[in-house]
Amino acid sequence: MSGGDRIALLQGTLDLIVLRALDTMGPLHAYALAARLAQVADAQLTLNQGTLYPALVRLEQKGWIAGRWGTTEHGREARYYALTAAGRRALKGETARWRRLAGLVERLLGDEA
Amino acid sequence: MARLRALVSRLRAFARRDREEAALTRELAAHLQLIEDDLIRRGQTREDAARAARVAIGGVDQVREAHRDARSIGWLEDLRVDVVYGVRSFSKSRGLTLAAVATLALGIGATSAIFSVVYTVLLKPLPYAHDANSLVRLVAIMPSTNPAGGPPRRLDLGFSADEARTLRASARSLTGVSTVASSLLTLRGVDAAGHVTIGIVSPEVLGLLGARPALGRLLSSDPDQGAHEILLSHAGWLRYFGADPAVVGRTVTLDTVLGRRVGRDLAVVGVMPPAFTFPRVETSGWTLPLPPTGATTGVFRGRLLARLAPGVSLEAARAELTPIVRDLRQHGPEVTYELVREQDELVGPVRPAMLVVGATVAVLLLIACLNVTNLLLARALSRARELAVRAALGASRSRLARQALTDGALLGLVGGAGGLAVAAAALALFRILATALPRLDLTSSGPGWGGASFPRLEEIALDGTVLTFMATLAIGAGLVVGLASAIRASRTDPFGAMRATGTAARGGAGASSARRLLVVAQVASAMTLLVGALLLSRSLQHLLSTDTGYQTDGVTTFQVALPAATYPDARLLTFADILISRLRSLPGVQSAAYANQVPMVQLRDTAGGLWTTPDPTRKPQPDGGDARYVSRDYLPTLGIRVIAGRDFDERDGPGQPRVLLVNQALARRQFPDRDPLGVQVFLGRDTEPWTIVGVVADVRQFGLDAAPEPQFFIDGRQWSRGMPIFPAGPYFVMKATRPTASLVADLRALVQDLDPEAALFNVMPMATIVASSVARPRLYASLVGAFAVVGAVLAAIGLYGVLAFLVQERTPEIGVRMALGASRADVVRMVARQGGGLVGAGLLLGVVGAVVLARAAAGLLYGIRPLDPATYVIAVVAFAAVAAVAIVVPARRASRVDPLTSLRCE
Repeated sequence: MSGGDRIALLQGTLDLIVLRALDTMGPLHAYALAARLAQVADAQLTLNQGTLYPALVRLEQKGWIAGRWGTTEHGREARYYALTAAGRRALKGETARWRRLAGLVERLLGDEA
Repeated sequence: MARLRALVSRLRAFARRDREEAALTRELAAHLQLIEDDLIRRGQTREDAARAARVAIGGVDQVREAHRDARSIGWLEDLRVDVVYGVRSFSKSRGLTLAAVATLALGIGATSAIFSVVYTVLLKPLPYAHDANSLVRLVAIMPSTNPAGGPPRRLDLGFSADEARTLRASARSLTGVSTVASSLLTLRGVDAAGHVTIGIVSPEVLGLLGARPALGRLLSSDPDQGAHEILLSHAGWLRYFGADPAVVGRTVTLDTVLGRRVGRDLAVVGVMPPAFTFPRVETSGWTLPLPPTGATTGVFRGRLLARLAPGVSLEAARAELTPIVRDLRQHGPEVTYELVREQDELVGPVRPAMLVVGATVAVLLLIACLNVTNLLLARALSRARELAVRAALGASRSRLARQALTDGALLGLVGGAGGLAVAAAALALFRILATALPRLDLTSSGPGWGGASFPRLEEIALDGTVLTFMATLAIGAGLVVGLASAIRASRTDPFGAMRATGTAARGGAGASSARRLLVVAQVASAMTLLVGALLLSRSLQHLLSTDTGYQTDGVTTFQVALPAATYPDARLLTFADILISRLRSLPGVQSAAYANQVPMVQLRDTAGGLWTTPDPTRKPQPDGGDARYVSRDYLPTLGIRVIAGRDFDERDGPGQPRVLLVNQALARRQFPDRDPLGVQVFLGRDTEPWTIVGVVADVRQFGLDAAPEPQFFIDGRQWSRGMPIFPAGPYFVMKATRPTASLVADLRALVQDLDPEAALFNVMPMATIVASSVARPRLYASLVGAFAVVGAVLAAIGLYGVLAFLVQERTPEIGVRMALGASRADVVRMVARQGGGLVGAGLLLGVVGAVVLARAAAGLLYGIRPLDPATYVIAVVAFAAVAAVAIVVPARRASRVDPLTSLRCE
């Protein structure tokens, strides 16, 4: 991987983005999730789809999402991830935290300017 | 909470990695399929779609790796891979692995065994009391009055119950002031009658030590009642009562209580748990001393034991106690009293030796580690190309270094497991060596008077602390031995190693010089050990070849237990006289005698000192000479020479003029400028004179290394002084042409015939008694000697390994030299010069190390200086001889190099 600043941006935020996507879209498999992210990011964010996997396993281990095997509309098998109750609570907390942090950074940058 | 949960999940993921991997594989395959389906729907060919799917996902292997990092614990995964890899590569090179593991097992095992000894003896709290570190003892210290000089002597001068009471009342810095004595007594009315060790204690001591009975109750604190009770130790309960659960209430009869020969009936009141072994391991029970009944009987005295009051330092307690004790003992012997920690007092005699032995075993471990380091380094060098391949395939340098450390730790752990067996065996051997004395009592009728010759021997074991130490040592040693290879591996240059051949591929000059340094360090360490071992063993030889002044050949000693109630001193003497006359008629017996003690027995009786003027109010003098109450043939039986005057003969005996003999040391001290023969002297407060009729050659009385002390010899039948002259019963000595073992049956029959109640015990050759007096020096010399031999062999193996490697490395060069006309002798010389250089440097450094070690061990040496030049020369020559073998073999191999073959190899 190259581009240290991009990785730094993704770390921490990717988890939040995934949680948010699952919250609005309901259960998704990794490919659908990647597609959703690409759609929302509108090409501002290029992402290896594989990059999702560490985030997914992290969230699953925290108990914030749960994976279950299911079938796509085309009859293929896929693993669907759904937000858990704990995940929903975490999303609220993480979102608030992110807003505070973003606001703080924004203020700091405003002061600098 | 989430973090903890994540950690648990990660650990679980590590444990179930196969299932996790399978699940991921399935999910990734499904993912790829979905992308492919999409792309095909958009009109791509199947092949293009498959390739594009892989690109979109970012490389399946990379995802797998990232997933594994996220889901599990990265270093744990790496470690697992490293361990698997290490095990595989070690199992491929069995010889090297075996050598490394065996070496480490030896080093770790020996070190752990010695650690368990040093830890138990010097560091572990005493087992019989909580907070044992605050237990203190009051000892008397007397400046040496020996004409030859020497360190101050410690005396266990006893304190009476009255004195203890005074201290209890006046000393605020002490609590639980108690008196303790240990005595060998005769117990009757039990399953196995015989001599038993009984603790005569003041009632406070049980509280002081926090004693809780396993059965029944503790001794009554009422002096009259407690003196008629006995509290059994677990060992005593097993041995004398067959672990009878209804033992409480049974009655036994105690015969001799510190010189007071009274049959005393004692009621058993309780049994202590096994861990309570105080003050000695062999203690069978405890009772209180009989309260004094009148002015004529002696007052019971015991060693003073107490606990420092909470928050009081030893120094503060000393300051408070000094004037109080001076006051208390103003009529006592002229000695100073000092408060010391019980633990220090107990282990003091062995502390310096333990530290030296500990240091030597550490050096042995160092040699072992250096050896294995060297082996691993050689292995790393020969695998340089393999490492280079791994580096080229993307393994980071830190990863390669970690692999080397993992290899080392693996060896360490396996070596540590082997070390466990080595340690167990070493401890078993240590116990045998350290308990040499009691094992040799031929009658084995209970604990011998020597007891365990090493403090706290029975507690030494591979317990939790030792095992923890061992595990730490194993991993630590493993990491240390892996370190050099790790550094080496971290410098792997994939391109250089791949390109190069021969020497360069094996690591080049830097690594070779590292290996040479290791060998120098090994030789130096081995040399240090060798000097240490030689010094100790030569010191032991000096000890053993000391002229004791008496003969031990054919001399047997034994004791007889008699019912004290029916044997006051006078009757005891009569019994002894009859017994020795009967002994003389035994076949093969040349002479027989008795005395209050034989040489090497640590009993002291000064008889109040020997004086040239009478004084009925005289103070007892603790160093007034050592009194021997002997029968007529005592001196010739032991071969002790009479230098001037005469020995006891038929003129002497009860009712005859009182005569005595003095030894040379006493003559020198008290009659420096006149002939002692014919001089009239007085003993203690006794006002009847004795005439000196002979001067006896000095003998080693209290130890082979202890200079002879002033002694005088009297006929016990000529003096009744109100105190028993045989507090431990008489020692019988006999000279016979038959070995001791063959005499036992005859002796037992003879003694039984004289009195069916009499019991024979402690039958021992005199030579054994003398030999056992050097049990400790022998133990130390054996230990350090064994370490030195192992160390020297290891160092020689290390030297051989490096030289063999050098020869192999330089084979092409040697080939060229020989092709250019160098003779075989030239080649041998070349290799020998290299080896010799390493050995020389090592020996030089080793001498420096040896001087440091020898200085530290100076206190253990007898008759030899720590810098004794001959010892150093012997060590250098001995090691050089071993090293020569290690050099000659590879040198000869070098000389057989065929120039053509070697050049073709290149």
